[in-house]
Amino acid sequence: MDVELAEIRDFLAEHPPFDALPADVLDRLPARCTVSYARRGTVVLRPGDHGDRLYLVRSGAVDITDEGHLVDRVGAGGGFGMSALVEHVPARYAATAREDTLLLELPQADFDALAAEHPAVAVHFAATHHGRITAAIAQLQTPARGSAVLKTSVRDLLRAPQPVSVAPSATVAEGARVMTAAGVSSLLVMEGGSLVGIVTDRDLRRRVLAAGVPPDRPVGEVMTPDPVTLPARALALEAMLEMTGRNIHHLPVVEDGRVLGLVTTTDLVRLERSNPVYVVADVQRQEDVAGVVEQAARIPAVVGQLVREDASAADVGRVLAALTDAVTRRLVVLAETQLGPAPGRYAWAALGSVAREEQGLASDQDHALVLADDADPADPWWAAMAERVTAGLEACGLPRCPGGTMATDPRWRQRVSGWRSQFARWGEEPAPEAVLRAAIFYDMRAVHGDADLVVGLRSEVVPLGGRSDLLLAHLTAQSARMRPPIGFFRGLVLEDAGEHRDTLDLKRGIAAVVQMARIHALRAGSTALGSGARLAAAREAGILPKESATDLTDALELLSYLRLRHQAARVAAGEVPDNHLDPRRLGSLDRRHLRDAFAVVRSAQQGLSSRSPQVG
Amino acid sequence: MGLRELLPGRRPRPGPGTPLADLAAASAVDPATPLDQVRLLALDLETTGLDPRRHEVLSVGHVPVAQGRILLAHARHELVRPQGPVGESAVHHGLTDDRLAHVPDLAQVLPRVLEALRTGSAQDGEDARPVRRVLLAHFAQIETDFLAAACRRLYGTDVPLQVVDTLTLAQRMLRVPTPELASGRLRLDACRRHYRLPRYRAHSALTDALACAELFLAQSAELAEQYGRPLRLADVLTR
Repeated sequence: MDVELAEIRDFLAEHPPFDALPADVLDRLPARCTVSYARRGTVVLRPGDHGDRLYLVRSGAVDITDEGHLVDRVGAGGGFGMSALVEHVPARYAATAREDTLLLELPQADFDALAAEHPAVAVHFAATHHGRITAAIAQLQTPARGSAVLKTSVRDLLRAPQPVSVAPSATVAEGARVMTAAGVSSLLVMEGGSLVGIVTDRDLRRRVLAAGVPPDRPVGEVMTPDPVTLPARALALEAMLEMTGRNIHHLPVVEDGRVLGLVTTTDLVRLERSNPVYVVADVQRQEDVAGVVEQAARIPAVVGQLVREDASAADVGRVLAALTDAVTRRLVVLAETQLGPAPGRYAWAALGSVAREEQGLASDQDHALVLADDADPADPWWAAMAERVTAGLEACGLPRCPGGTMATDPRWRQRVSGWRSQFARWGEEPAPEAVLRAAIFYDMRAVHGDADLVVGLRSEVVPLGGRSDLLLAHLTAQSARMRPPIGFFRGLVLEDAGEHRDTLDLKRGIAAVVQMARIHALRAGSTALGSGARLAAAREAGILPKESATDLTDALELLSYLRLRHQAARVAAGEVPDNHLDPRRLGSLDRRHLRDAFAVVRSAQQGLSSRSPQVG
Repeated sequence: MGLRELLPGRRPRPGPGTPLADLAAASAVDPATPLDQVRLLALDLETTGLDPRRHEVLSVGHVPVAQGRILLAHARHELVRPQGPVGESAVHHGLTDDRLAHVPDLAQVLPRVLEALRTGSAQDGEDARPVRRVLLAHFAQIETDFLAAACRRLYGTDVPLQVVDTLTLAQRMLRVPTPELASGRLRLDACRRHYRLPRYRAHSALTDALACAELFLAQSAELAEQYGRPLRLADVLTR
């Protein structure tokens, strides 16, 4: 047919995932749809409804809520009704028209056919759906953070869409066949939609084979009746306690009397394997660089797990710093073992984001050596050690610093007195290029060796820097140049050329906040390292209004969180983590928050520039 | 049921076996019927002008509405070969003489339109007689006049249709006096803007039929809210 529903077709063609469909598929799609209209306030879907179609917002907006909590806001081009389509379960969330809304509806059968032929369509809606579940879970989470078993709900552990079940009248032989066919170690016994029992591999061994029960007896005779179950919101910890306490390995998870799935001991073991505490312990046990590299390869998965648990970016930054520290420490110790004892007291110092405990997965190496004043910087031991550790970190996935800010450079291996005069030069230096380099050295944290050397140095040079109007002016000018991308495409400016075309460089926004926090901390004379702590110190010193400190802290958390989530997704997809976010992949709520965050950064920059001394 | 239009003698009966006769045999819809049970057909014609005696139909677009949904699967768009040239009207609809030189003429297209106005048997099964669709259009007089003129020419008579006119509804809901008609406040685009419906870039008979159907969904949702009850056909019926 002629492309007569061209308006509908063009609308679809503008929005993912349809924009990636071949033209002929796109041409045929409008005729599969119906159009409906929802007046503001109309509930389009209720939780528990058996949806049979994908809803696309043609115009207007729809709120997706979970027991009154907003999970997502869907504008034109967005979809909902995914529970039915993706998971084949009743609707999880309520969908309410926030504005008068025109909806395009694609029936389940047509969606299934489309998704079968174009898996990207299924992937897109599954990802949107998963994002909403994550957001909904975040609403339920307690603020307390602990190990994964404390933070993960059993709902998160469920994998298979539907647990395998039989009726109590089925024979033991049938049950065993069903289990074998599905490749599972346990079988739910269901009667009229409710759970009446469970049969496991162990039951078949003990209660059937060992007891000589014939295989044609009904499953109902050998099952464990009324098994222990857990509500979907129970924590993994509770599952662990139930399992160890009762010596069972399978726990059905129920919600509103409905079985959602099964949690097994394997699921819990898998969860604990990605606990950072285990990784740190494993790193410390390694006797060679290859072993450290092997353990470090687990770090992205740990971050992925934390992101899935919706840990805050601040928490993930601390965990990542702890892991990087552990790797660095082990590499230094291994170098010392090989090269012999160090020819003097020293500290291996992390610089930049690692020092601030704010690194992401794409951070590179920044470090320096601070030697005691009685050590000889010319001793070749320092260079040899620095090279070994740097090469080890590189093998662990932390690229060398392109600017060369590493302990391998003799300029960044100095005695305390040398560093003192270096910082003094930065304070008086008229050349902005030199000051550009200096910023990162104000973020310095001892990772290994004599930490007092670094603490002592900072207690002298930080107040010095805070008194240097020239340094502050240069840093402020530098910060003002880190323009947060805000303004054009849906309120966000994208890179318009090169390999990161049409993406958003989150690092620019993050770097701007980090720099402002650094400046404020210097002015307050605070030796705090983390940006949040620095902003708090500036607030307490009366330099920064309370609202600005809170806004900037929130903006940094949001930008860092989005970056982490993006990086974790790239790692999960087997790609190299970077800072370039495609805003079209963001939910409408995230996009709005992102725009707000950039606006906060922009206005704080303007405020800072107008108050600070100017440089020409 | 208001079947006055089928009274014998007032108007010649359409010849048996013609699509018009089939349509005439189909029951009109009882105005007391709940609106969500009424089937409508949003229809738009592109013509060479406004006078059915002098001007010709160039394209027909229609899409059914049932149970509050627009059924895009049954959307149809047909070009119609005129007897004369399209003239200056091409400026409005973009249909040129060349484009229309090899498409069916109105005698071929009209039966399909009449067929679309007649649904299958009534859904309930009690009444096995086919039921008509209610014609849905914006400023429906153009559509009804041109259809009636075409029927008279081809079959010697016509069948008055039940009509829901979104322009009349807009007039009523916005309480706009008739002289305002010319000012453009009630044009289809303007009415759609009132409900923040998406803007359509291109115009064609089908796009306009779809635009009219969407406007109708928005209008009836608002009207139901005003009345605080589900609507009946009588609430929106123009004639």
